[in-house]
Amino acid sequence: MSARLPRWVTLSAAAALALLYVPMLAVAVVSVNASRHGFAWRGFTLAWYARLLGDRSVLEAAWNTVVLAAASTAVATVLGTALALGMSRYPWPRWLRGALDFTVYLPVVTPDIIFAAALVIAFSVLRAASGFFQMGMTTMIIAHITFQIAFVALVVQSRLATIGRAVEEAARDLYADTRTLLRRVLLPLLMPGIAAGAMLAFTLSLDDFVISFFTAGPESTTLPILIYASVRRGVTPEIHALSTLIFLATVLLVLGLERLTTLAKE
Amino acid sequence: MVARHEKAVRRGLLIWYGQLTTSRRLALRGAALAAVPGAWLLVFLIMPLTAMVAVAFAGRGSYGEVVWTLSTGNFRRLAGFGVLGWSADYLLILGRSCWVALVTTVLSLLLAYPLAFFIAARPRRTRYLWLAAVIIPFCTNLVVRTYAWMLLLSSQSPLARLAAAVGLTDPGSALYPSRAAVYVGMVGSFLPFAVLPLYTSVERLDWSVVEAAQDLYASRLRVFLQAILPQTLPGLTVALILTFIPAMGAFVVPDLLGGARYMLVGNLIQQQFGSSRDWPFGAAVSLGLMLLTLAGLFILRRRGTAGGAA
Amino acid sequence: MRRAPIGPTSAALLLAALTGCFRSDTAPPASAPAGAGAKSVSAGQLNVYMWSEYIDPEIPRDFEARTGVRVRVDVYESTEEMIAKLQHAGGAGQYDVVVVSDHAIPGLVKLGLIRPLDHAKIPNRVHVAERFADPAYDRGNRHSLPYQWGTLGLMYRTDRVGDLKPGWAAVFDASAQPGPFVLIDSMRDMFAAALKFQGRSLNTRDPEEIKAAGELILAAKKSPRAIGFEGGVGGKNKVASGDAVLAIVYNGDALRAAAEDDRLAYVIPEEGTLIWVDAMTIPAGAPNPEAAHAFIDYILDPRVGARLSNFNQYATPNAAALEHVNPQDRANPAIYPPEEVLAKMESMEDVGEATRIYDEVWTAVKSR
Repeated sequence: MSARLPRWVTLSAAAALALLYVPMLAVAVVSVNASRHGFAWRGFTLAWYARLLGDRSVLEAAWNTVVLAAASTAVATVLGTALALGMSRYPWPRWLRGALDFTVYLPVVTPDIIFAAALVIAFSVLRAASGFFQMGMTTMIIAHITFQIAFVALVVQSRLATIGRAVEEAARDLYADTRTLLRRVLLPLLMPGIAAGAMLAFTLSLDDFVISFFTAGPESTTLPILIYASVRRGVTPEIHALSTLIFLATVLLVLGLERLTTLAKE
Repeated sequence: MVARHEKAVRRGLLIWYGQLTTSRRLALRGAALAAVPGAWLLVFLIMPLTAMVAVAFAGRGSYGEVVWTLSTGNFRRLAGFGVLGWSADYLLILGRSCWVALVTTVLSLLLAYPLAFFIAARPRRTRYLWLAAVIIPFCTNLVVRTYAWMLLLSSQSPLARLAAAVGLTDPGSALYPSRAAVYVGMVGSFLPFAVLPLYTSVERLDWSVVEAAQDLYASRLRVFLQAILPQTLPGLTVALILTFIPAMGAFVVPDLLGGARYMLVGNLIQQQFGSSRDWPFGAAVSLGLMLLTLAGLFILRRRGTAGGAA
Repeated sequence: MRRAPIGPTSAALLLAALTGCFRSDTAPPASAPAGAGAKSVSAGQLNVYMWSEYIDPEIPRDFEARTGVRVRVDVYESTEEMIAKLQHAGGAGQYDVVVVSDHAIPGLVKLGLIRPLDHAKIPNRVHVAERFADPAYDRGNRHSLPYQWGTLGLMYRTDRVGDLKPGWAAVFDASAQPGPFVLIDSMRDMFAAALKFQGRSLNTRDPEEIKAAGELILAAKKSPRAIGFEGGVGGKNKVASGDAVLAIVYNGDALRAAAEDDRLAYVIPEEGTLIWVDAMTIPAGAPNPEAAHAFIDYILDPRVGARLSNFNQYATPNAAALEHVNPQDRANPAIYPPEEVLAKMESMEDVGEATRIYDEVWTAVKSR
């Protein structure tokens, strides 16, 4: 493959990367600026970060964000994998298979906001019927699990398709029963797909704002909700610091995972 | 393959993935696996969407309660027949959202292609770094990224000062809220979603086809349209879906960067479920958005496959 | 059944793409779920819901030191947002004390979202000044006790605007708009400004008048100098940072900013404006009504009331607190307007069925 690209391609790529990074870098620069408003450089300071870390509501929001992502990912990975296995390894009648496919694709093709609004309605109905489902951590986790199941199921399904039937048939020929088959053959083969699905689910949960915003309660603020509410009142240096920290955390997360995968391959 | 197994299923005994078993036992096992997630999706996905359809036909009490009557009032209001007489407000918002989503998708793709090629052209060793450079914004929360644009477009930022110096805006005014800010914010937000799928296709590109086209003295444009584009079609389709759908329902970007001056469907829906407390109308608008999104997807897919076949 | 919009190849690519470099061969699935517990009501917790920047942070801390009850303050930017939370997001079952603007209280009572107060647990209520003691919006203070009161007006930058003629024309008259300005994102308050400019009652139920006011607001919004809608605090912050030169705000927010920066000023428009009272209420499903009553009683303590007003620069309805309020605040006509000015102000009332017309016009104004 030709490694020499036309000039305009490189320039355009540079422009695209600039579009992605310049705003965040600007925030990072301003977060260590000693001025309360504006860009005028008034000296380097970490005061905003210090104030941030002493703020109880920020720490609580950070904790909520992580708990939400971790809990929902865990449940969704299990349920999504089970769904994928159940869907693709058994001969369902055409209509049922179609219905399941449709259901799994639904969160992918539905804009977030519609799903979020529908959940608000549903939770209010469930609350009226049962007295549970107060808006809070529980409802947020439920909401996240719901859309995550679909993505995990899709990832695992595609991995299952890649594995094909040969290995399973061979295992059966060797008199493996279902439990052994699952445990010793299928799940280990499926592991990369499950892991990929889990990571996707985790990312989607961390990245989400709209669904969390609609299903949150008073004690379950997450970082994006906190930033949004604060930004609506006005931009402050503490939020610059918080954004930069979140960005750095994401960078570390991504690079760390990259490291892990390249190390694992060796 | 599946049809054969279906026939076998109906006969009772079958060999499924190398195992001799009855369809009944298979079904039970399958159900055991798929039952819990299936029930979950039924309760928390299908039921809410159905409830939303039902609420779209309900009415609203004077204090914002939902009144369970059957009426098409919300849809009529959506079509423009409101309390102030007929006006095309809401249809305009729907139309505007479609347009913004379309422009965003096109611009994102235009920027995504060169970037994907650029990354694919990097030496294998460092390629993962460049990919990470795209994945990082992809993983960073949308509110954080949009907020960064607010900062960059605020009245004291170098960009705003530049625009004022050149005469585009009054001195001392911010570049947002404005239509341009929304477009910039949208493209910036969805670009990573477009690049990643495109890259997976570009990476697998069969360059021999491209070289053959070049050998045949095809113009640059033709080389792209007929040798490259069709091969990247699967990735392109996915990129289209991943940018178009969220762009249709976007709410954070128009809210923070557009303010009240540039309202899109997402803002309208959020408003109905928030301060306006008009769930029935909000549900009706949501259904409208859903229909438009599916229609848009359908058209884009048709265009995509048609273009690929050419 | 409808065909899925993406075929199997595309789906595979979608996931390959989304998982991008997440090509993990060995990473195990995430561990068991952490505390995904249901909302727990700690006996020693109090959830308060009020306007933003409305309470001195020391006050909840002192209450906590005194009673051991942990106070958590959640904020909102507009009355409609607060009602939506109480009505639909289960706020009525999760907050213990909610500060509500006067005009919204009858509606909340009708919806059954707030509960009657147990006056026996609030001995400090005797300190409430007479004019707030038996208000029209809540006879006998059955459901609420006043928190602060104030006015709606214009905040502007003296360094960019010079002397502003104190009238709503600065917002609604295109020839009089002094520069980038902010409208207030609170439905009834924004209508109040427009209706007062047009010389009408801000409690009108006449659809024609409401519609005319809506059109006026729309024209203002469409002006190239309008930046958009913000809550009172958001507008104040925009003027303070220089992004705007004029905003519709509540007096206390403006005065607090002016105290830190003397280039900022507040005026009461001469066509007349809104005089509002915010009151403390207890939602119907409050998890900790004992602490809620204790907190309300604490706020009505004269020294605490004075400290509150000294912090947020609003007027206190607490007669006994007046003597502890800063003398310069006490003499400030922007906080405690003289009688002739008060006479031109109008209180906001619940307009019943007409609320729906306001709602529809507001949505139309915001969407065009």
